[in-house]
Amino acid sequence: MSSSIPPSVTTLIEELSELPGIGRKTAARLTYFLLRGRSDLALRLAQALQDLSERTRFCSICYNITEADPCPVCADQARDHATICVVEGPLDVLAIEQADVYRGVYHVLHGVLAPSQGIFAEDLRISELTARAREGEVEEIILATNPTSEGDWTASYLLSRLESLNMRITRLGRGLPMGGDLEYADAVTLTRALERREQV
Amino acid sequence: MLIRYLSLTNFRNYARLELTLPDRPVLLYGGNAQGKTSLLEAIFLLAAGSSPLASSDRELIRWQAEADGLPYARVWAELERDGRRMELDIALEKHTLSNGHTRLQKTIRVNRAQRRQSDLSGKLNVVLFTPQSVDLVSGAPAGRRRYMDDALCQVHAAYSEALERYAKALRQRNAVLRHVRDEGGNPAQLAPFEGTLAHNGVIIARQRHSFLDALSRHARAVHEKLTGNDEWLRLDYLPSFDAAAPPASRNEMGIRLDEEWTSRSDVGLEDLVEAYRQALVARRPREIARGMTTLGPHRDEIHFIASSPTLGTHEVDLGTYGSRGQQRTAVLSVKLAELQWMREETNETPVLLLDEVLAELDRRRRAYLQEQVNSVEQAILTATDPEMFNAGFVERATTLEVKGGIVQSG
Repeated sequence: MSSSIPPSVTTLIEELSELPGIGRKTAARLTYFLLRGRSDLALRLAQALQDLSERTRFCSICYNITEADPCPVCADQARDHATICVVEGPLDVLAIEQADVYRGVYHVLHGVLAPSQGIFAEDLRISELTARAREGEVEEIILATNPTSEGDWTASYLLSRLESLNMRITRLGRGLPMGGDLEYADAVTLTRALERREQV
Repeated sequence: MLIRYLSLTNFRNYARLELTLPDRPVLLYGGNAQGKTSLLEAIFLLAAGSSPLASSDRELIRWQAEADGLPYARVWAELERDGRRMELDIALEKHTLSNGHTRLQKTIRVNRAQRRQSDLSGKLNVVLFTPQSVDLVSGAPAGRRRYMDDALCQVHAAYSEALERYAKALRQRNAVLRHVRDEGGNPAQLAPFEGTLAHNGVIIARQRHSFLDALSRHARAVHEKLTGNDEWLRLDYLPSFDAAAPPASRNEMGIRLDEEWTSRSDVGLEDLVEAYRQALVARRPREIARGMTTLGPHRDEIHFIASSPTLGTHEVDLGTYGSRGQQRTAVLSVKLAELQWMREETNETPVLLLDEVLAELDRRRRAYLQEQVNSVEQAILTATDPEMFNAGFVERATTLEVKGGIVQSG
C-alpha cells in the first residue's frame, strides 16, 4: 500500500479485506465510497458495528446469537423444551424458523468437524450439548447438520457422544427437493430417496 | 470406441490444435520435444481426469499463455462410443488470489454440462504405454497404486467416488491424529473418519483385488506368447488391510496372499468393513504417535512375480531382481492385459496409445504388438521416424508429422 494513503484509510481497507468474499480491490472501493459518500453513512455503519459487538452475545442455553439471555426461543415457555434441534450455525436456525413448523428449541454448534482446516470437536459447542442433554428433560435430539461429508461426520460424532443417554436421536430426512426434477437428481440423492421411501 | 475430433488450447506446447482423427491407426512422427507425447497426454487426461506425466495440473498450461497473463488450457474431444457421440471437455484456469497465492480451477464437462471428476468414468477408455511405463515394475509403490486407480477410475464410477471419499477422510483423520498428539485433543473424534475409511477402503480393496486377478490371468497368457513360453508372469496383490489374513498372523495361519479373501463366502461386506474399522481403532495409539494413518489402500502394494517353467518352481520378484529387459516385457504384458480387461469390463475396445515403444522391442514382441494395434478400433502411435514400422503398416495408417506444436499430414 502506497505511503501517500492516510493510515486511517489503509487500516479500514485492511480490516474490510478480512471479510469473506471481499478482496483488497473491493475493500478499497468500499472505503473510498464511504469517504466520498454521505458522511452519516460511515457513522451509522460504525454505530451498527459497535452495537453488534457490544449488545450481542451467545445464548447461555442454545448458543445462538442473541441480545437477551436466554434468547427469545429458549425463553418461550410455549415451545417444546424436550426436543432439541442441533444445527451448524445461526443462519440454519433462521431457515428453520422461517418454515414455521418446528416448535422445539435449538442448539447451535458454530461449525462442523473439519480437522484438515483446523476445526476439531473442542472448537464446537459439543460438550455444552451433552451437558444439556444430560441435565434437562430431553426426549429427542434432532441432528440437523448439513447433508455434506463434514455434516455427516459431525452428526456421527454427536451420535457417539449422545447414544448412551436414554433419548430418541434422529437425523433430518433427506431426499428430493420440492419443485425438483427426478431427471436432474444426482445418484446419491436418488439412492437415499429410494432407501427411505414412504408407505402412502 | 473412437476419438473423432481433438481440440487443444494452450496445452503443453500446443497453442492451438484442431485435429480430426480417422478410425484407423494414426502414426505421429517427429523429432523430440515437438509435442507427440503431449497429444497422447491430453487424451489420457480426458480418460482418467489427470495426467500420468505431470505431478500437478498446473504444468499442463502452456508457459507462453502464462507469460501472456492468460493462464488457461483446454482439452476438448468428440467421441463415438456404441454408435453414440459424446463430448468431453476439461478446462484449467489459474487464478491469482489477493494474498498472492494461485489457485487452479479445473472444470470438467460432459456433453457441455459441468460434471465432477468421477463422472468421467465410463466415458473415454484408453490404455497408454510409454517408455516410462517400466516404472510400474521398477519404480516406487505409489506409481503402482496410481496405475490401478487410473485403470479402475476409467471404468468404474463407484471406484472413483470411493477413492475421492477415502482421500478426503484420510486427510481428516491424519489431522485429528496430530491434534491428539500435539494438542491433547479427544481421540473419540477419530471415529467418524474411521467409519468412512473402512467403508470406502473395503470398496477400493475389493475392486483392486478383482482387477489384479483378471489382469494377472490375462498377463500370464500374453507373457507366455511374448516370451515363447520361456517365462510365466503373475501379479500379487498385497492389500495393506487383508481381512481374511491379518498381516500379523498371515504366516502362522498359512494363508496365501493370492487367496481370494474378498470372495470368501463366510466373510460378508459388513463384516469386512467392521473388521477394518476395528483394525484402525486398534492402531490408534501407534498412529497418534506417528501422526498418520498407516493402514489402508494408500499403503497397498503389487508384486510382479516371474518364474521359468524350465527352472522349476523358482520365483523372482521382477521389481527387485528382474533385468531391465524382463521388466520391459512384463510391463508390455500387463498393458496388453489391461486392454483385454477393459474390453471385458466395457464390451468396447479402448483407444490404444503407444508412445515410442516399438523402437525398443525385438521382432517377436513388435509383431505381437502390431497385431494388437490391428485388433482395436483406434490406436495412436508415436515415433521419431516412420521407417521403424513395416511398409504395410504405414500404408494402412494415417501418418501425421508433429513439429513445434503443429500437426500436419505427413
